[in-house]
Amino acid sequence: MKRDPKGNSDIRFEATVHAKGKAAASRVVANLDLDRIPDPKGHVRVLLTADDLAPLLEQGVEVRIVQAYPVKPLDPSLIEDDEAAKAKLEEQTRGIKREGRP
Amino acid sequence: MYNTVAQIDSAINLLSGWFPQYFTKIPLPNASVQRRPISALRMRFGAGPERRGVLLVGGTHARELMNPDAIIDLAVDLLRSHANGTDIVYGGFRFTHAQVDLVLRALDLWLLPCLNPDGRIYVMTADDMWRKNRRDNPGTSCDGVDLNRNYGGLWGVTQGQTSCAACSDVFCGPKAFSEPETKNVKVLLDQHSICCFADVHSYSELVLYPWGHAPTQTVDSTKRFTTLPSGTCAPIAQAGYKEYMPPRDLLRFQTVGQRIVDAVQSVRGRVYTNEPSIGLYPTTGTAGDYAYARHIADPRLRKTYGYTFETGPWLGSGPESFHPADPTLIKRDAKAAMLTLALQCVCAIELIGWNVLARDREISLLRTVRDELLATTEAGGQWIDLFDRRQHQLLALILSDERLEKEAGALLERAGKLLEDDKAEVLEKDVTRAEAFLRKLAERSGDKEVERDLRSVSSVMARLAGRRSRETIEILMKEPPGKKPGAT
Repeated sequence: MKRDPKGNSDIRFEATVHAKGKAAASRVVANLDLDRIPDPKGHVRVLLTADDLAPLLEQGVEVRIVQAYPVKPLDPSLIEDDEAAKAKLEEQTRGIKREGRP
Repeated sequence: MYNTVAQIDSAINLLSGWFPQYFTKIPLPNASVQRRPISALRMRFGAGPERRGVLLVGGTHARELMNPDAIIDLAVDLLRSHANGTDIVYGGFRFTHAQVDLVLRALDLWLLPCLNPDGRIYVMTADDMWRKNRRDNPGTSCDGVDLNRNYGGLWGVTQGQTSCAACSDVFCGPKAFSEPETKNVKVLLDQHSICCFADVHSYSELVLYPWGHAPTQTVDSTKRFTTLPSGTCAPIAQAGYKEYMPPRDLLRFQTVGQRIVDAVQSVRGRVYTNEPSIGLYPTTGTAGDYAYARHIADPRLRKTYGYTFETGPWLGSGPESFHPADPTLIKRDAKAAMLTLALQCVCAIELIGWNVLARDREISLLRTVRDELLATTEAGGQWIDLFDRRQHQLLALILSDERLEKEAGALLERAGKLLEDDKAEVLEKDVTRAEAFLRKLAERSGDKEVERDLRSVSSVMARLAGRRSRETIEILMKEPPGKKPGAT
């Protein structure tokens, strides 16, 4: 999948690919160099851009789009604050003799 | 919550600065593509020369955010346990203080929490599903090399999910080790005695071992990746190709892998699957395969058991599975897996040999007996299994008592002498001494199953007096533990 910061791939699709057998679907995905991610049911699951869709469909496989989401940075609320990170380490190691200085 | 690259670097600096008795910061020789320094931590307790090493790598794929944090957390957990004399407890998994002490005294833990800092920063600032590093690929508008396709061995063979196209998310790079990040892993493997390796990824709850490029087989030793052309940018040409692995190595991968699976399950019931890497999908140029393949490509190199962990379950979408809102429980599973791998890497004989005798002569002799004789028969394999199963528990007892440790060293030295001289006989006093040692261990362990196993050893020991070493080994190769003499 072409995740190009200079290009137009601003939406990402998560999809499963189906053919007559899993091996055939795997082969198509491998041949197109797509970004395959693990699937909980053993299907062939991929991340796609809009540009990937047409060549994939041309291979005669069925593509089931399961989700679409914008290309975006990680939710900032999931990123630890610098002070909190240091305070956590201080707290965890409190009482352990420090034999050196950073 | 996830730590930034700066916070991970800060943790490395603080831990190595505050606690030099445990941690040494190891600046790696290659800065990232975007010129960021990359550092590892060496963790151990006690002085002395280089030890057996365990290398844990996180953050290869940028979007898999949990594992760099889990590796730092693991270092802190080990420190707290060792310094405070407490056990590490993750849910139903308990790693005793004695086990922590054993790991930190027996091993060098090489922790490389964030292999791909540029990618991690890009995930946090631009694209939360970015996978590769941030290489600017000349002549294309696409960035990045998949670091877990860039290792040597069978590089550039586009089996399954590996590509020579720069725009692909599984782009293997222009040549093996083209990327500074993968070069750093190679440096650690080249320069240190790494026996066990895990490249820690997410997700899908797997413990993977070689091979990734083809199914593993133990029958035809002519089928070696070294006979295949690399860098072809084509799949393996031989239809039905299966890669050889010696049976003993496969058994070791499976046994240790199962112990890791069991440990993770004990935390909160998650059931990881232990299987060859190809079970996920075919790949080449991966870290786990490279770590193990090195000694095959160059027999002068040490054998490293290379694993890939895939931590965490499917959580309903790619983004949520790669970086869930709360990774706390998954990190506990991952830490149990890493601790178990480290413990399995401790070798009791090697540790006693170095600690007491300060040499490896006896260790090498016993290793040869194990690999070239015992491992070739079913009964011999059961003796190896018994030793593997009990060695860490018993080693903790031995290391806690100086007299026991000295006695273990003396018995090891005597075993070495017997193995060196084909004509030397096991004496009655050798047997008496070994039996007394086993009795002491059994008393100290207070564990019925350990006592039973030690009785198996004692009962065979009693028959060895007056025999030459070769005969004693033949007995072990024919009669499994617990078998009565003469029984069929």
